[in-house]
Amino acid sequence: MKKVLLTTLTLCALTVQANSLDSSHNWNNGSSDAFKSAIKAAETGYKANLAVNMAWRDTGKMIKKAKELYKAGKNAAAVALANKAHKQTINATEQTALAKTAGPRL
Amino acid sequence: MKKLITTVAGLGLLINVASADVASDQKAFINHFKTILPNVEFANYTNGVYAIDQDSREQFEEILDGIPPYEEAVEKGGKEYLKFGLNKCTSLKDPAAARVKHPYFDEATQQVVTLESAIKKCYQQQTGKKLGSKKGKIARISAWISDQAVGQKINVKVESAGAKAAYEQGKAFFYAKRGQFNMSCADCHVYNAGKKARADILSPALGHTTHVPMYRAKWAGMGTLHRRYGGCLKNMRAKPLKAQTEAFRNMEFFHQAMSNGLEITADRYRK
Repeated sequence: MKKVLLTTLTLCALTVQANSLDSSHNWNNGSSDAFKSAIKAAETGYKANLAVNMAWRDTGKMIKKAKELYKAGKNAAAVALANKAHKQTINATEQTALAKTAGPRL
Repeated sequence: MKKLITTVAGLGLLINVASADVASDQKAFINHFKTILPNVEFANYTNGVYAIDQDSREQFEEILDGIPPYEEAVEKGGKEYLKFGLNKCTSLKDPAAARVKHPYFDEATQQVVTLESAIKKCYQQQTGKKLGSKKGKIARISAWISDQAVGQKINVKVESAGAKAAYEQGKAFFYAKRGQFNMSCADCHVYNAGKKARADILSPALGHTTHVPMYRAKWAGMGTLHRRYGGCLKNMRAKPLKAQTEAFRNMEFFHQAMSNGLEITADRYRK
């Protein structure tokens, strides 16, 4: 009896906590806000990479695809792809810094 | 008077320093290839991988012994050179001289002028139309112009401070790692030249510019050096730049200068 009571109470507590979260929260981070911030970061980084001729081949395509996924309502996948694109721009920015001192190792 | 002498002497010194840098860069470049490919003679670098691998060389010679797949295209390029009035432009009037003169640094515009950029400019002046930069007409015309200079040597001059800056930018582009594979042009075509990447032998950068524009079996047609640059960047998963952009022209300036002293060849077939 004690065990059943304890389990019921735990379940109730979890349900209340879940319901109290606002509607914008998304367990898989696929919310509109999450997408907007991820895609903005990716686009800003990509633009900066393009300006110094250091952009990666697929970043632009990933940004485009992420937008399409978002339009289709696949928010979680859209956020994941936008984050992936953003990560590429971060790596490209690191390359840009190293490129400034690039020279032969002969 | 004293000031004038000092200025002139200073300028002379600057020019000498710029030239000396190119010469010492090229010396180090050539010495590197001597070390990694000790059996390849300097003059043989015009043949790219065919100077390294005997089997590939035999196939190459067989292709050249027959009717090379680019022959018709190059002939057509000659006809187009006249048809579009490219002989009327001062820079292209003497085609053999034009090939050897380019690329050069234009002091007025502070830009590197490549043979293809000169062809594009002249074509537009003569026809009022724009010309592409990678394949088709421009590759055919440029190949025909290059054929007129066969046997002459590449002789890129880097003399002024502006030229030196463009050369250095081109050099930095060549050695900088880029793209998702984090590789530079030099990673394949300098440090690992002669080694295999999957089934293909990596060609040495030394001599790359002696047979451009080239016919590539992969393309089943002709293409300019900048088309190849774009393809290489794509392979490294970097976003290719547009042909004839400043960064590519500067890299060509460096790339061609590294092949100074090598003969221009009409054997433009590559895998």
